[in-house]
Amino acid sequence: MTALTTPSAEAPRRTARAHRNRYLAGLLTGRGLTGLTLVGLLALAGLFAPLLTDLDPDAQSALALAGPSADHPFGTDDLGRDLFSRVLHGIGTDLAITFSAVPVGALLGCSFALLAASSRWADVTVQRAFDLLLAFPGIILALAVTAVLGPGRWPVLIVIALAEIPGFGRQLRAGILVQREREYALAARVGGASRLRVLLRHVVPNAADPLIVQTAVALSIGVFIEGAMSFLGLGVRPPEPTLGSILSQSVAYLSTHPTFAAAPLAATTALVLGFTLIAEALNRGIRR
Amino acid sequence: MSRPVLQVRDLTVEFGATRAVDGVGFELSAGDTLGLVGESGSGKSTTALALSRMLPAGGRITAGSVKLDGQDLAALPEAALRGLRGRRIAMIFQDPMSSLNPVLTVGKQLDEALRAHGAANRAERAARATVLLDLVGIPGAADRLGDHPHQFSGGQRQRIMIALALANEAEVLVADEPTTALDPTVQQQILRLLSRINRETGTALVVISHDLGVIAQTCRRILVLRDGRVVERGDTGEVLAAPRHPYTKQLLAAVPRLEAPSEAAANSLPGPEPLLTVRGLRKTYGPRRRPVTALDSVDLELHPGETLGLVGESGSGKSTLARALVQVHAPSAGTIRFRGEELGRGGGRAARRELQMVFQDPYSSLNPRMTAGRIIEEPLIAHGLGSAAERAARVAELLRQVGLEPESADRHPRAFSGGQRQRIGIARALAPRPSVLICDEPVSALDVSVQAQVIELLARLQRELGLAVLFIAHDLAVVRQVSHRIAVMHRGRIVETGPADRVVTAPEHPYTAELLAAVPRLDAVGPTLRSTV
Amino acid sequence: MRSFLLKRLPSGLLVLVLASFLVFLILRLIPGDPATSLAGPDAGPEAVAAIRGRLGLDQPLLTQYVGWIGDLLTGNLGPSYAIGGRISDLIGNGIGATAQLTLGALLLVILIALPLGVLGATTRRRPVAAAVRAFTTAVLAVPPFVTGVLLVLLFAVTLRLLPAGGHESLLDQPDLAVQYLLMPALCLALPSAAVLARYLKDGLERALAEDYVRTATALGVSRRRIVWQHALPNALPSTITVLGLQIGHLIAGAVLVERIFAWPGLGQLIEQGVIRRDYPVVQDLLLLIVAVHVAVQLLTDLVYAWLDPRIRWE
Repeated sequence: MTALTTPSAEAPRRTARAHRNRYLAGLLTGRGLTGLTLVGLLALAGLFAPLLTDLDPDAQSALALAGPSADHPFGTDDLGRDLFSRVLHGIGTDLAITFSAVPVGALLGCSFALLAASSRWADVTVQRAFDLLLAFPGIILALAVTAVLGPGRWPVLIVIALAEIPGFGRQLRAGILVQREREYALAARVGGASRLRVLLRHVVPNAADPLIVQTAVALSIGVFIEGAMSFLGLGVRPPEPTLGSILSQSVAYLSTHPTFAAAPLAATTALVLGFTLIAEALNRGIRR
Repeated sequence: MSRPVLQVRDLTVEFGATRAVDGVGFELSAGDTLGLVGESGSGKSTTALALSRMLPAGGRITAGSVKLDGQDLAALPEAALRGLRGRRIAMIFQDPMSSLNPVLTVGKQLDEALRAHGAANRAERAARATVLLDLVGIPGAADRLGDHPHQFSGGQRQRIMIALALANEAEVLVADEPTTALDPTVQQQILRLLSRINRETGTALVVISHDLGVIAQTCRRILVLRDGRVVERGDTGEVLAAPRHPYTKQLLAAVPRLEAPSEAAANSLPGPEPLLTVRGLRKTYGPRRRPVTALDSVDLELHPGETLGLVGESGSGKSTLARALVQVHAPSAGTIRFRGEELGRGGGRAARRELQMVFQDPYSSLNPRMTAGRIIEEPLIAHGLGSAAERAARVAELLRQVGLEPESADRHPRAFSGGQRQRIGIARALAPRPSVLICDEPVSALDVSVQAQVIELLARLQRELGLAVLFIAHDLAVVRQVSHRIAVMHRGRIVETGPADRVVTAPEHPYTAELLAAVPRLDAVGPTLRSTV
Repeated sequence: MRSFLLKRLPSGLLVLVLASFLVFLILRLIPGDPATSLAGPDAGPEAVAAIRGRLGLDQPLLTQYVGWIGDLLTGNLGPSYAIGGRISDLIGNGIGATAQLTLGALLLVILIALPLGVLGATTRRRPVAAAVRAFTTAVLAVPPFVTGVLLVLLFAVTLRLLPAGGHESLLDQPDLAVQYLLMPALCLALPSAAVLARYLKDGLERALAEDYVRTATALGVSRRRIVWQHALPNALPSTITVLGLQIGHLIAGAVLVERIFAWPGLGQLIEQGVIRRDYPVVQDLLLLIVAVHVAVQLLTDLVYAWLDPRIRWE
């Protein structure tokens, strides 16, 4: 028996490095890099919009519905405003809205999920609250909120945040339920850790993987909600440009002046595509 | 002796650059029985899958042949292979729960198996399905065709797996770890069923197992595999009685023998006063109107420096008892006293530190996001023991104590092997300097050689630290080896307690006797098995 | 099965009741006085009081709520404000069109997602798998209102195959009605079909990696039967749950699509209600939509239980 007692005789399963960089490994694929590049370029364009163009996005001119030219790279809209400037500023507005609303929704959803983990009663209550929110899908929620608050920037923010709560909350709750039953959670409890410590230090970090993916998905949904609300006239008030508002204006001129729609459409699609690709890349990295 | 049905020559399987099976060869005649034994990574399951070319993605047969009646399966097109699978070579897999389709009825699954090879008439197929279920010993077979797998017990599920494999009267039956997920008494029944089928139908049987006892009981001939190569082959009785290859010798030496007397007395002498006293412990689950009793008036004593073995089959309440002792589950009734103080009433805090636990699964019991050092340090932090520097020193000391390098503290669990992980789990349990270690099936997920190392480690720790150990396991041979006393659990009750050697040699309770009879013995090569090498 | 229904029904009803409170309260939370905003800036105090009386806003909240629910249950929905006409007539006029649109879209969702999901999970040809993936990604990356516009541009303006917008009764002129329905339904269906196809593909891929598939392979069951008879039944239950949620998105998305294609349904009605601040219409419609949504969720739960015997026997 002594001949077998060298523990090093067993081969290690995998290297530690593979574990640490799973997100990075996912992002550093063709898909992930494409997504990061798309979102990164658009975010930079939106962020530095005032530096990239000195034209006022809201300044009207007589030159309406012009095609692309040296002065107006994307042409002008029906009120003669420069589309290059409007699209850049629109990207900025969209990103500002989604990047502030999604974290709020995520934080609220996760807080509810943690609350649900505290007791059976809390779990039932939180689940019904999620059901209630889900009973107002997307645009219906937007209609309900704007029926009260009227159209504007804040209602868009609130709708996006509210719409994201159940997604994040359910995801984390499901993860906690699975991870809590794993033996390492029991081991931590036996090791003397309090319930709260087991939850926060052991269970939640292991349940959080899908939330990263969810964030990327939520950002793309945010862009959609903004667009849909603008399209229905419930979004950010004119003349402030958003991708959705420029697009919805352009729709009326689609058959006569297709170049009007080209730039906002490309920007919206690229943004959503970028978020989707990042989400997929992260998902693959985690599943690996 | 008829001509060979199956001839395997120089079979080699590669996954990328890794060679999982390396030049394995054997022959099988009608009615023959052959055992493939080896530890994890020996290539035994890959060999089994390669026979009908069912290798997982990435695996390829790169050399050799598998000839079934002279036809080389390794070179046959996929469509032709499909026609042979199940009809001429059938397989039985390890985990009957996951190997049966959970949303299809058992009747439907049998029907699919029959239909795959052209049994055209639906009514005939249904009649045959009933006959098959009856053949493998499912009571009331005709009425159970409409049931789903989860409505059967674990043993019955494995019987259904066997019925599926028998559906088309294959000439070769390959059973890959057919009883590993089962309790000993159920294992015994399944092994008997396989032997009976081999005898009555003349189907050649290949049994793949890590357990030499299982092979000894079912197979006339044996192949010992290591790292994808056959290291020894021959008549099972002869190989087990007089192994020639050093690896076979090591393997046999590492297998705990039920006949071997307890070695516990060499480690420590138990103190006179009990450290832990359990009286009338009861635990019920489920709705109040129809409660399920997991523990039923359990009495138990554990002395300092003593190892108490707790044996019983799955669902007997062993794990529930362990969890009640470490105060994760509150008991429904009864008391647990530690050093004379009742848990849950003031005595709990000291007991929380002094009672620690080692878990079964070395993979799921370590937090994958923490480093080994952090995992071991956690109980120290939770109990507020020592400064950061003191804790780091303690972690290094613990790692050395369990036979790991202190430098490995920075690595994540994934970077360790199963045995090493179990050592980390033991170090974690030792961290807050406990006086009682509760080991819940600490070695049952490990290979025999690794199992022997971990048992040796636990014995050494008991010698050095004077620990009291509650050693929970289903393997009676292991339990006898390590325990001073043995308690036998059955349906939530402790039916027998006594000195380890006495319980094994002269059981008082019929259930203990039943458990003992179910242990496959290395010297018990079946009387019906004649040498045919 | 019945006990399963009895377990799920109460929580569904609870959500419905809570939603009705919410809808009721939301419209009373409007900053300022709904009666004032309804009456317009030029109205005198008497006119405002009259409107308040007709809306019942001078009554205690509970009385108002009970009255509203009572009216709903008896089918007496009262008059609309800004839009004109009785609310029950307005809903009656629109509900057929919306039902046609959403059911048509649901059919398309299943017709597109099922083959696409199965193809994506089972194909061994890399270009096919990549094409399925590219299609679902592309559909999900383009906002539905843009998809709608692009469809109009392609089929109505360029190819002149289908009418750009409008609606025909399915009973009077079925062939024309289907022509009108095709584009809006497709526009509504595409994003949900893409989501569903992905879930189905993932579920099937997971099922195909399970041990029981290995068992079936070892028994000599053909690949086609393994996919359709063994793996698909395992992938379906979770896909059904996703389909249930997607039906909610179809109902919501109908608001947008009806706008794009001038489809005279409830979506147009509720949008008008919100923009023209016709609170009774908005209130009734919100509750109707929520009720349908809750019913759909309950139905999908039942289908799930029917498909997955492990739940059914719990």
